[in-house]
Amino acid sequence: MPTLCLKNGNVFDPINKVFNKKKDIYIKDGKITEKLSEKIAETIDCRNKIIMPGAIDLHTHIGGGKVNIARLMLQEFHNNSDNDYDLTADFVPSTLKTGLQYIKMGYTSCFEPAVLPINARQSHAEMADTPFIDKGGYALLGNDDFLLDLISRGANQSEINDYVAFILKATQCIGIKVVNPGGINAFKFNQRALNVDENSVRYKITPRKIVRILARAVYELGVPHPLHVHCSNLGVPGNFKSTIETIKAAEGLPVHITHIQFHSYGNNGDRNFSSASAEITDYVNKIPNLTCDVGQVLFGQTATMSGDSMKQHANHSHAHPDKWLCMDIECEAGCGVVPFKYTDQSFVNALQWAIGLETFLLTEDPDKIFLTTDHPNGAPFTSYPHLIKLLMDKTFRDDLLDQMSVDISKHTILKDIKREYTMSEIATMTRSAPARILGLKNKGSLSKGADADITVYDSNIIDIEDMFASPTHVIKDGHVVVKNGEIKKYTWGKTQVVKPEYDASIEKKLKKYFDKYHTIELPNYTISNDEMSEVIGSHVNEIKCARKRIS
Amino acid sequence: MPKISDSLNHKNVVCPFCSLHCDDLEITVDDSKLSVRNNIPKSCVSKFEQLNLAKFREISSSIKGNPCDQKKAFQHSRQLIKESKETVFFNSSVDVNITRESLSAASELNGIVDHVNSSVFLKNISIYQRRGYMATSLTEIKNKSDVIIVFSNNLFKTYPRLMTKFLATKDSFSINPKNKKIYVIGNKKNNKRDCDIKDKRITYIDFDNKNISDLLDSFTDKKNISSVSNKFFDELLTSIECSKYLSILWATSELNNYKECNEIIYNISAYVVALNKTMRAACLSLAGNDGDVSFSQTMGWMTGFPSRIKFTGKFFEYDKDAYKATQLINSGNSDLVIYINSLSEKKLNLNKKNKNIVIGSPSTKYNIEPDVFIPCGTPGVDYKGHVFRTDNVVSLPLSSLRLSPYKSAQQILREIIK
Repeated sequence: MPTLCLKNGNVFDPINKVFNKKKDIYIKDGKITEKLSEKIAETIDCRNKIIMPGAIDLHTHIGGGKVNIARLMLQEFHNNSDNDYDLTADFVPSTLKTGLQYIKMGYTSCFEPAVLPINARQSHAEMADTPFIDKGGYALLGNDDFLLDLISRGANQSEINDYVAFILKATQCIGIKVVNPGGINAFKFNQRALNVDENSVRYKITPRKIVRILARAVYELGVPHPLHVHCSNLGVPGNFKSTIETIKAAEGLPVHITHIQFHSYGNNGDRNFSSASAEITDYVNKIPNLTCDVGQVLFGQTATMSGDSMKQHANHSHAHPDKWLCMDIECEAGCGVVPFKYTDQSFVNALQWAIGLETFLLTEDPDKIFLTTDHPNGAPFTSYPHLIKLLMDKTFRDDLLDQMSVDISKHTILKDIKREYTMSEIATMTRSAPARILGLKNKGSLSKGADADITVYDSNIIDIEDMFASPTHVIKDGHVVVKNGEIKKYTWGKTQVVKPEYDASIEKKLKKYFDKYHTIELPNYTISNDEMSEVIGSHVNEIKCARKRIS
Repeated sequence: MPKISDSLNHKNVVCPFCSLHCDDLEITVDDSKLSVRNNIPKSCVSKFEQLNLAKFREISSSIKGNPCDQKKAFQHSRQLIKESKETVFFNSSVDVNITRESLSAASELNGIVDHVNSSVFLKNISIYQRRGYMATSLTEIKNKSDVIIVFSNNLFKTYPRLMTKFLATKDSFSINPKNKKIYVIGNKKNNKRDCDIKDKRITYIDFDNKNISDLLDSFTDKKNISSVSNKFFDELLTSIECSKYLSILWATSELNNYKECNEIIYNISAYVVALNKTMRAACLSLAGNDGDVSFSQTMGWMTGFPSRIKFTGKFFEYDKDAYKATQLINSGNSDLVIYINSLSEKKLNLNKKNKNIVIGSPSTKYNIEPDVFIPCGTPGVDYKGHVFRTDNVVSLPLSSLRLSPYKSAQQILREIIK
């Protein structure tokens, strides 16, 4: 592999506390290295360039059953005329287009947040067909009959931990996510809502209990990424209270609240819909083990897709165009795909836009908040450069607010917020912070030995949106894969996984359950490393877990 | 250490043939001969055992019916590909990885990709392309469904273990399985004959399934205008109204025999959606056999479309009418058709208007000799693979059970395209 030097660039490397410092970066064998004394094969002149580690998207729906349903459901939108890509729509792109668009924006690692264990093979196959990026997935638990039955029968925490660890190994995932804890399961028994302290009819357990037990399992197993939580009551006015109760349910253990914008709604005012971003960010700011991503809404057509079949079914009347699908899946979870068009003519949509931005701007520490649109639920990931501009440019933000078709100025504090994100904060939020929260020690950093995943931007480009949309160079595993917007080389990233240890006796219990109730055999549920590389088509990289115990 | 001559016993084998993909098979391999140890329907066993036939174990490549070595068949295929102006990749029975390779090959040649079952599965997909849809999967039905309605004329022949393994099960997690009610509506004679268990939970109702819409209207209006007897109608309606989780199953491939097919599946879907305003109910449209779910899913993530695309330069277009393989073949608008048939025993209908290359399992049948025939192994028997089950959400690994003299279809495609 040829050696490479990025010379005289202005480097942003938050992990090493390097912010806008002129430095040379050396690359050898796909890794960042110290200054090389040997002859360097290629030197890139980075004067007037900004150098950052490759960006990381920790919550983006890029592979799995629901994504594919949306692709096939919304064919009429596959008419993109951009000649650089295939025809698929930005909000439901093909796997090839997903990889191409991410890498051209300088993103080098992306994580699918809703891998149904029974559907993990499909998720991994889709991600394996997504070029360039490293990838990974969070396995869905907390609505599966096996776990809910264990909890309702009072199983001890160690047994739950063993089950969680088994699922991580069987599904080749990097983390655990819970979606509407217990609610998807309750919907199968015809419950239409489930509050944090409400018992499900079937199992007589509450979402609070599920969150507490799963957060503890993930912590005690030493999985780097905290429990990834999609709270109860998504999209329901007044849901900020249940979001705060869900945060409390973790009892101080690390927890990541995802697409928090959709869970930060008050029910004040004559429309019974208001912003509760101040209440939510107050919690985010004061609780040390709490992180969140935003799920920013931006205007335009998209598709909402979620494991939360309870709430997706409840919202299907808002489908645009008027079609949708919900599914109950294999006694594990569900899914719902509802196409949606956000418009600034809608008071609710306009306020959702403002609530997301308020959440970004009121969260003090960029290490605790991550830049996401919950692709494609709030907007396609291709809108990230626009979102970055909204965060870095108050004038731009205020102008857009003034131009809204509906006047929401009395309902948002956005204009009163003077903060503009700095380049360093953007680098933290999109690079070092997600790498840290995922346990990716070799990513999001320009340290010696880190993976040479690097993005180079042209600081001569005045419009920050344009700058972030078109890096001059993207380097993946030491290869220049993008140069001035052109693809130079195709590479295929690895799948990042964790495999915490567990007591294998849980597999005997699972086998009994599978033999009696499931419709496949337990060994076929599990995906081996060999199957990942030989059949599915992606090599795995295991991130170590360090077991902890709560005294 | 086992000797090479020892027999090997494989457990938890996934059957690659029908789209139920039952994965509880125990298969012994002795000198490449497969023996199914489970007590399962003969029609399932015979799919494996036919691969034992001597005539299918040593079949060679051929050019216009004359046996030749593989090298020659590859060379001739390359020549035909080179001379072709419009190549169609007509997938007849495939898994995920063959579909991936077929797309890759088509992109190299600016070819067209279609599947023999496209007309049926495009109808299935069109349900949720036009309106709301509530779906379910087999494990949910097994464990939660207290009332199951199956519209069937021949379903239990197409899916031999559907009733025993998935519907009339002795165990259910969330309900008392003894109280399950299973109504099989359609050709009673066929259904009773093909269903190999006697179970008092099953009620067979003779009905002309082209009139399903009338029956659904009757349920909605609570007034029987269908040809079902009032006794059965009242029982059905009561069961539906009292159910905790109703499942309705059908196979679009079967309903496709009626001109009312589209209307029927839309009406079932709308009926189930309406029920969900107050109760729980869901649909399962059983997909076809020939790997069509694996094909349409893989096409979906790689292109955004389920089938019928044409590559032009580095792009592709979708047109379900213009790129319909049979149409292109019959109209003479394609000069080369590459059939890929790794699993199915169905007879391929080749057209002499164009050149034909068949990459097929050794048991592949055809109406006329192809220009080139190249035998390939069977995924799930001769090499590893990956398939989707009939409910579209469960995907399963296919194993390699024996050493095979045949290459995989994807390897052959790679070699003739390069």
